[in-house]
Amino acid sequence: MFSLFYGLWNYIFSKTEFHVLILGIDKAGKTTLLEKLKTLYSNLEGLPPDRIVPTVGLNIGRIEASNTKLMFWDLGGQVGLRTIWEKYYEEAHAIIYVIDAACPARFEDSKSALEKVLRHEDLQGAPLLILANKQDLPGAVTAEELARYLDLKELDERLYLFEAVSAYDGRGIKDAVDWLMDAMERSRRTETLRIRAGVAAGPMPTVGF
Amino acid sequence: MGILFTRMLSSLFGNKEARILVLGLDNAGKTTILYRLQMGEVVSTIPTIGFNVETVQYNNIKFQVWDLGGQTSIRPYWRCYFPNTQAIIYVVDSSDTDRLVTAKDEFHAILEEEELKGAVVLIYANKQDLPGALDDAAVTEALELHKIKSRQWAIFKTSAIKGEGLFEGLDWLSNTLKSVGG
Repeated sequence: MFSLFYGLWNYIFSKTEFHVLILGIDKAGKTTLLEKLKTLYSNLEGLPPDRIVPTVGLNIGRIEASNTKLMFWDLGGQVGLRTIWEKYYEEAHAIIYVIDAACPARFEDSKSALEKVLRHEDLQGAPLLILANKQDLPGAVTAEELARYLDLKELDERLYLFEAVSAYDGRGIKDAVDWLMDAMERSRRTETLRIRAGVAAGPMPTVGF
Repeated sequence: MGILFTRMLSSLFGNKEARILVLGLDNAGKTTILYRLQMGEVVSTIPTIGFNVETVQYNNIKFQVWDLGGQTSIRPYWRCYFPNTQAIIYVVDSSDTDRLVTAKDEFHAILEEEELKGAVVLIYANKQDLPGALDDAAVTEALELHKIKSRQWAIFKTSAIKGEGLFEGLDWLSNTLKSVGG
């Protein structure tokens, strides 16, 4: 009996978990960002930057911010590994796209990888947070300069923001996360994913005696 | 290098009993890997139930190895080895393309085990020294690693014979276990 009520309680009051994909080309700072998020928003101490090795798989971070649960998927960004990104699109509520703002030589590579992400139909309507990362380094371009450089088309139909951050020292991250949470709350995609998950989970359990 | 790793491990687990399962189809290279890591003597046991488990004990960490696939009648006994498992090292013969489907099925079946839900997964795309070995991206695809969405995983190209890639993988494992609070 207890478990029945417990199940019902959970059904009604459990918080939705948002899935956020962290993408970007290799050396952009995705895992450093993930670890910083863990440090800032959970009671786990994230790995220090000097312990972080290139990702060849999936790193996961779970945090809770202003009463909302977030699960981050950080996927490796090397060319051969990018084919796996799209397998995670369908279940993602939003995308964080990380760019090394201090390395203009690779902006073109970043831009074309991002354009490919945005063209994918499984990501329709997903809010997009583009991070001009590594602001701690001299010569990092601003968010505005990066936006101008990327000159992305077809952004109109989704919520998006360019934000200057440093995953290394943490600047800008809180603002970026605040925006992301708000964007996911407002996004129609969130509703679509909720309905789809609800259908998959079956009808609400009935309480009978 | 081996000494470095063992130091890393002992600092990682402290005094807690820990288990790392090393799994894969037969002939994937699991035992060779254990020998390469030189952590201790590999003890092979064939209990009466006819299920061969190799064990390396290093301080409080037990590495336990057995073959997946084959006889289904002994599978219930696998469960004895599941509790307290922090990590699974899954070893694949990257050149044995005929059996990759079996390797995939066995892999996903073991991940379903309730007691292994919290374990992180390290995949060794082994036998990279052989001609025709698939690279990490191709093995990722073949094993359908993208179906893993709620635990951390990583794949490394290895050659157990040459000793390549093994420590890079373990380095990842040790970092990951540290950051998930293992």
